[in-house]
Amino acid sequence: MTELVLQALFSGVLIGGVYALVALGLALAFGAMRIINLAHGELVLLAAYMAYLVESRTGLDPYFAIPLALIVVGVASWILFLLVDRIKDHRELNSLILTFAIGIILTNAILLLFASDVRTTSSAFLQDAVSFGDVYAMRGELIAFVLALVLMGVLWWWLKSSWYGRAVRAVSSNRGAAQLMGINPTRIETVSFLVAGALASFAGIALYTMSVVQPATGHALTVKAFIITVLAGVGSIPGVFLGAVLLGLTEALTVTFASSALQELAGMVLFLLVLFFMPNGLFGARARRG
Amino acid sequence: MLKLDAVTVRFGGLTALSDVSFEIPQGEILGLVGPNGAGKTTLFNSISGLVKARGQITFDGKNVIRLPLHRRARVGIGRTFQIPQPMHHLSVRENLAVAQVFGAGRYDPKRIDEILTVMELSHKADADAASALALQELKRLEIAKALATEPKLLLLDEVLAGLESNAKRTFMLKLRELHRLFGLTIVIVEHDIETISELCTRAVVLNFGQLIADGTPAEVFANPAVMESYTGTAHA
Repeated sequence: MTELVLQALFSGVLIGGVYALVALGLALAFGAMRIINLAHGELVLLAAYMAYLVESRTGLDPYFAIPLALIVVGVASWILFLLVDRIKDHRELNSLILTFAIGIILTNAILLLFASDVRTTSSAFLQDAVSFGDVYAMRGELIAFVLALVLMGVLWWWLKSSWYGRAVRAVSSNRGAAQLMGINPTRIETVSFLVAGALASFAGIALYTMSVVQPATGHALTVKAFIITVLAGVGSIPGVFLGAVLLGLTEALTVTFASSALQELAGMVLFLLVLFFMPNGLFGARARRG
Repeated sequence: MLKLDAVTVRFGGLTALSDVSFEIPQGEILGLVGPNGAGKTTLFNSISGLVKARGQITFDGKNVIRLPLHRRARVGIGRTFQIPQPMHHLSVRENLAVAQVFGAGRYDPKRIDEILTVMELSHKADADAASALALQELKRLEIAKALATEPKLLLLDEVLAGLESNAKRTFMLKLRELHRLFGLTIVIVEHDIETISELCTRAVVLNFGQLIADGTPAEVFANPAVMESYTGTAHA
């Protein structure tokens, strides 16, 4: 029993790390532009299929798909931004409809190109089990978790210490005031969308190496990213990580002790409970102070 | 330095500014006065680029009327708001540093320290996010941010509002110090006649979006039309 609990907790933390990577892009775009990109999960999925494409066509490890994924998802993110930027009135609401529609288009494009089959990595290296005492993980899961931690650190540093990162926080804080400081908000929003796209690229590849993907996965990823962003209380990278781990743990414990069919439901219940008891999110107060 | 020529702003059927024309030479401290709804803030908004205006706004010999907001900040037009607009998630120092890098196109920590000292914000510079400041500190930060963009022209929108008389006097001395230290041209929106008389070398009066008087504070406040606009009754 103890081993089962430990294994569930370990798996929950590992998947939580990748969920955090998925959610960071959504949280970043929301922070900079106050829009919720409902196509974000599909961008992650697009990267996952780039990994599948490279692995299936060349036999190379999925991580060799990083440059291709960065280009493809980067271009898709840029086009998405250009479309969102054309919305002049009620941007927050209208962008929801627009990005939801783009998500559907991307899902169907992936379905058309890659069929509805479930895909996962065939790399024996990534699928090998690594043991830590009584608990086990796939090597792919461990690599993905470490990658997620590194990228979160890089993003944190970028937002905290680079001029563009500070400008993103400035625009997120007060768009009008930032403009009066000489900041071009369109440029900053473009950069935010591209960075969110880059995070989606890494997240998609990481996901492909440790889980299964299919065209319908994108929508589920967007929902998870949204849940995590709300759990975090919007705007805090440590909050996103802890929210993601909490979601991962909830799902892993549900799968272990109830049923895998209840996994998504458990996440939604967690989401509703937090919304009900802590409307600002788990880390809302901290997030407001940055 | 700044020349307004037939500046007009309309919001739907409402004319907020109508053919406003005047010039501000370099180094002047000009008071922009008028009753509520006269168009003072709209004039600031049109100069700084927050609202679209017709006519010509020439700054340093260039018509800036088509320049977007952030480009106007970069050419040297700094602006504050009556309700301070800090970038809440950033520390006080970061507020100034970002303003300097993007507004003035350079990073000079010494200059930022100088502004922090003059605006008496050094002790708060790195302590916390700007959202934790008290109202007077926020007002000082508002001006400090504008100064960090290294403006030639500083538009101050009711920076003295809400201050009690001693604080107001201290703030006025501070504005004089800034004018001297940074060689600024200042336009200040202010309701208080005494403040305008003491601080400004010239006053321009707006009423219902139209310029109704322009002269020294003494001349302007001796004008019956100005007093009528202020009090709503004819001046005896």
